[in-house]
Amino acid sequence: MSFDNTPFQPRLGVSRRQVLKGMGAASSLPLIGGFAPAFASNSDGRVVVIGGGFGGATAAKYLKRANPNLAVTLVEPARTFYTCPFSNLYLGGLREMSKIAHGYDELRDRYGVEVVHTLAQDLDPDSHTVSLANGDTLHYDKLVLSPGIDIRWNALEGYDEAAAELVPHAWKAGPQTELLRRQLEGMEDGGTFVLVAPENPFRCPPGPYERASMVAHYLSQHKPSSKVLILDAKDNFSKQGLFTSGWEQLYGDSIEWVGLSGDGRVTRVDAENREVETEFGTVHRADVLNVVPPQKAGWIAERAGVTDDSGWVPVKPETFESQQVADIYVVGDATVAAPMPKSGFCANAQAKVAAAAIVASLRGDSAPDPYWSNTCYSLIGPEYGISVAGVYRIQDGVIAEVEGSGGLSPSDASPEIRQMEAEYAVGWYNAICQDTWGTDA
Amino acid sequence: MNLRLPRAATAALGACLLLGAAQQVLADDAYDLQREVMAGGCANCHGTDGARTGNVPPLAGRDADYLEERLLAFKRDEVADTTIMNRIAKGFSDDELTSLAEHFANVEQE
Repeated sequence: MSFDNTPFQPRLGVSRRQVLKGMGAASSLPLIGGFAPAFASNSDGRVVVIGGGFGGATAAKYLKRANPNLAVTLVEPARTFYTCPFSNLYLGGLREMSKIAHGYDELRDRYGVEVVHTLAQDLDPDSHTVSLANGDTLHYDKLVLSPGIDIRWNALEGYDEAAAELVPHAWKAGPQTELLRRQLEGMEDGGTFVLVAPENPFRCPPGPYERASMVAHYLSQHKPSSKVLILDAKDNFSKQGLFTSGWEQLYGDSIEWVGLSGDGRVTRVDAENREVETEFGTVHRADVLNVVPPQKAGWIAERAGVTDDSGWVPVKPETFESQQVADIYVVGDATVAAPMPKSGFCANAQAKVAAAAIVASLRGDSAPDPYWSNTCYSLIGPEYGISVAGVYRIQDGVIAEVEGSGGLSPSDASPEIRQMEAEYAVGWYNAICQDTWGTDA
Repeated sequence: MNLRLPRAATAALGACLLLGAAQQVLADDAYDLQREVMAGGCANCHGTDGARTGNVPPLAGRDADYLEERLLAFKRDEVADTTIMNRIAKGFSDDELTSLAEHFANVEQE
């Protein structure tokens, strides 16, 4: 066992068992400074993870859980990650921003992940390197990309980065979410909150409708004469029957939904005047306007060459390795993984499958059979929760929902069940954040 | 048995403790990749290793027979006032549910 001080050069020939044996022999020697880098140089492989959200943080943790001798580096610009899940509860006044904020201490201190807070600005699949905004270059044997989504600026006429400062999307949690909340707080009673919902696919299919619910809850408490209008580019949406029935029960006619067939598709945004125009020329003026715009995979995915013409990332279902570029595994909202939705739960589940596949591959083994599941809770009111669940396996080479599994909360559930689901939604959020970042919300 | 810290690995304990990495290195040897992948989704509500306590019941270290019986009952819609577990359990074969029950029963509590 050598003690050379050269990190970032994995020696793949060394098995874990040999490392263990070597450590046994080394135990009689005095441990001196410099050992740690040498240990890293004898790692079973080097994995770089880009993105510290549900997918990336989970991948980093589960790589180290499965094989602590991997050298794992997580690249994430933000020191604090704000989750999109439960950001609607912040808008509704049910949760503080600090309670949807998560850091990277557990990954670093407990699991030995090297966490680098900088931007991954480019990568070269041929040389297996990632260049960072801080000037460093990282070499990888395997790369995990969990880039989330980016907005397709101007795909909706008039909606660009400048417009988003006036009319927030709040579809990446953080300052945008706070801006939307301030606008809600500043709205006069009797005003109209207009939410523009996109075509599929997009991050968090039930998200716009939970947002409408939480905004309606806030308005019912503080501005009861106000209305919520949803202008939708499609005719059907996630958990539609459950939402519609819940809205009626909790908010009467305060929430109006207009689908594609009813001229709900918005084609132009005038951010300065908070106006939107639909396909057939109807102009709606909003007091607070929230545009959930068309989306695509996070931009680094395009740089990596893993996106296709759709702007999303096709992956091999068994491992979530890119179909287009070897040794790059992509997880989360950026991927084409239907029937799995673009949810934090799925990003976490996909990351576990990818991490196991990487660990197996670096050992020269085949990947374990994948299993995925999903549960998306939505809150219609503080004590009114609904859910959709799914369990997924590979069938005939593609991802498929296991027959007879999953599905929606019953349409005729009792108020007690709705309340239990609202409580379990909080239990789910706290548990998945603990599983992903080790943080207690 | 699939203990997280198998007897065979304890030989290396002394050396590993000196390195401050004992738990991780040993866990590595005990880690059943296939079973961990099958159990992966459970953590999203029950916490890592099913060990989180809260309004979602913990799974770690509970009796295997009890867990198996509950999982099979969820699958067969025999638990009144179930919210989600009946929908999840139907995604697994009976054998897989038995394997999951054993897996969580054998998680060592910290």
